[in-house]
Amino acid sequence: MDIAEGFRFHGDKIVNRWVEYTLSTYTSSGFFLKERDKFANPVGGNLREGLQKLFLLLSRDADPQEFTAPLEQIISIRAVQEFTPGQAVAPLNAVKHIVREAFAADKERQHLVGELYDFEFSVDLAVIAAFDIYMQYRERLYQVRIAEIKSGNHILTDSKCPSSMLDGDNKKIIKTVNGI
Amino acid sequence: MSVPKLEQLSQSVVQGPSLAAGAIPTRDWMDIPVKFTPGSYAYVAKKDKVEYLNSQSGLSFPNAREWSPEDDDWKLPEGWKEIILKGLQERLGKFRSLKIFMDCCVRCGACADKCHFFLGTGDPKNMPVLRAELLRSVYRNDFTLGGKILGKMVGAREMTVSVLKEWFMYSYQCTECRRCSVFCPYGIDTAEITMMLRELLHLVGIGINWILEPVSNSNRTGNHMGLQPHTFKDNVEFLVEDVESLTGVKPNISFNRKGAEILFITPSADVFAEPGLYTAMGYLLLFEAIGLDYTWSTYASEGGNFGLFTNNEAMKKLNAKMYAEAERLGVKYILGGECGHMWRVVHQYMDTMNGPADFLEKPVSPITGTVFENAASSKMVHISEFTADLIKHGKLKFDKSRNSHIKATFHDSCNPARAMGLIDEPRYVLDHVVDWVEMPENTIREQTFCCGSGTGLNTDEIMELRMRAGLPRANAVKYVHEKHGVNMLSCVCAIDRATLTSLNDYWTPEVGVCGVTELVANAIVQEDETRGELEEGLRTMVF
Repeated sequence: MDIAEGFRFHGDKIVNRWVEYTLSTYTSSGFFLKERDKFANPVGGNLREGLQKLFLLLSRDADPQEFTAPLEQIISIRAVQEFTPGQAVAPLNAVKHIVREAFAADKERQHLVGELYDFEFSVDLAVIAAFDIYMQYRERLYQVRIAEIKSGNHILTDSKCPSSMLDGDNKKIIKTVNGI
Repeated sequence: MSVPKLEQLSQSVVQGPSLAAGAIPTRDWMDIPVKFTPGSYAYVAKKDKVEYLNSQSGLSFPNAREWSPEDDDWKLPEGWKEIILKGLQERLGKFRSLKIFMDCCVRCGACADKCHFFLGTGDPKNMPVLRAELLRSVYRNDFTLGGKILGKMVGAREMTVSVLKEWFMYSYQCTECRRCSVFCPYGIDTAEITMMLRELLHLVGIGINWILEPVSNSNRTGNHMGLQPHTFKDNVEFLVEDVESLTGVKPNISFNRKGAEILFITPSADVFAEPGLYTAMGYLLLFEAIGLDYTWSTYASEGGNFGLFTNNEAMKKLNAKMYAEAERLGVKYILGGECGHMWRVVHQYMDTMNGPADFLEKPVSPITGTVFENAASSKMVHISEFTADLIKHGKLKFDKSRNSHIKATFHDSCNPARAMGLIDEPRYVLDHVVDWVEMPENTIREQTFCCGSGTGLNTDEIMELRMRAGLPRANAVKYVHEKHGVNMLSCVCAIDRATLTSLNDYWTPEVGVCGVTELVANAIVQEDETRGELEEGLRTMVF
């Protein structure tokens, strides 16, 4: 039995475990796991979809360029949640351990554990790419802040409109105006 | 061998100050204190703003001071607990709905997973039921017999500084969008619970600057931007010039004109900031095309009402200028522009708060003769109703191809959709002016997802919070962008126009944001216009 067969055979189980693990980093992981409608559950739905796609790519030794789309689907979300950078990308690594666990527990496929070098190397590349993507999204977040400030919406506060002088000492302004 | 390693990875993932990475909760929610870190809260109101507001007649914003949510000591006034409990008692007597909402929740959980803040954060305290429980627990403790006797056993708890901090955190992680209320079998309006929490917090001087400064501006000049009359007039005149240079048609406008048939009021953001000002240009073109006898007001120069996000007294005071100006100018009725929370105030509160407006007439379209029975009492008509009626009667000539560079979708703004039932009119308008598609059905109409930045949370220091709260909306936008090639998100709300722009810039930068009236004006064909040579739509022409 070759490793491709091993990934096919255990694929669904591995992905489910990976999704479960990733969603366990949220306080309300129960709901994120249970609800399968992507629009009613955007975090759970997108993470599941992204990890499914990513696993297929990792298990067939795909071009790392292809990792970008599913990684963005996952990391764009985790980049604006309350995670440290490490916490945001760490669950990606878990798939290495999950795959080893799955193969080790399967008598017929135990020998595949020794053949995981390429797979694990792909995971490493994905984690490195995830760091880049994490930073891209953080940069984008700051650009969004800057764009918002430049758009003029910020005039709601710190307004430079002359009438904002009225906030201060009215008497002083009246004196100035009257030349006193 | 591998199992312990996975556990180790898991440990490193859940370590650190992350709230979201708490894994399985091991403590009761009441025992988990809130922690304020940069980015988790909006900046608090500046001392001078609070002082100014507190000095104004009809308003009360006590305990002005310098303070920070990150400090242990929030410099609360002496006897703050009594102030809060007395405030709650007063409100329970005054607002019947609050009393009912405090008593009737059966904790069925129907609302739990309907909140965009919960969906984006996974924080259980963002479940509407639990957000309400923050207040309900105190209510039980001090105002119910069961709570007084059985205490924590029945979910009661004493009002403490820690509870107060929790109120501040979570009443500013609710945009009062009322999506949860749609699913509540009892119709509990969590928005009203958030409103009460914020009112109570203001009693002891806890509020945010992004709300109180616009309220203070509005109290002074009539609009959130703090624009004085001449500036407001100048801005609208600039837009007239823009419209003229783009279309060859110079719209006639007037300000504070007595005897005009209609007073037009829109959010001041529409005449000041992109992309709202394209919508304002749209109003100008539309009104010119039908020869509407209307006037702008430099006094009632704001449709929005950030007072709604503070307390009922401020809301009432800021709203009062609408009827007052309509009466002063002697108009027949008021036409309102595209705004979200403005319509909640207008549709649900204005009539009883500052009315009845007996000096106004039942609104009738001067162009079609249609009587707006739905606005018979409030005397204020929504621009989308008005436009849909014009289209229905064939009063507008369109060249839909002018919007052919746009594939639109429509975001139902929370307040027009859920607080006034304005759902089909904008869609009817869009059908006639642009090619557009719907987002998935559990994200539109009554079930629409909030932009994530309503109720005065559209400030940049909490951008991450806004992005995760807006994820459910952005997720649906992304879907129609990928599936149908949607490149424009249309809406009927000024705050949406600003906040969805930021939301899309993060999640789907390929999708722009516009007002429905902007699309209408793009497509309107008028005599003597010169924009036939232009290849693309109005927005594109500007750049």
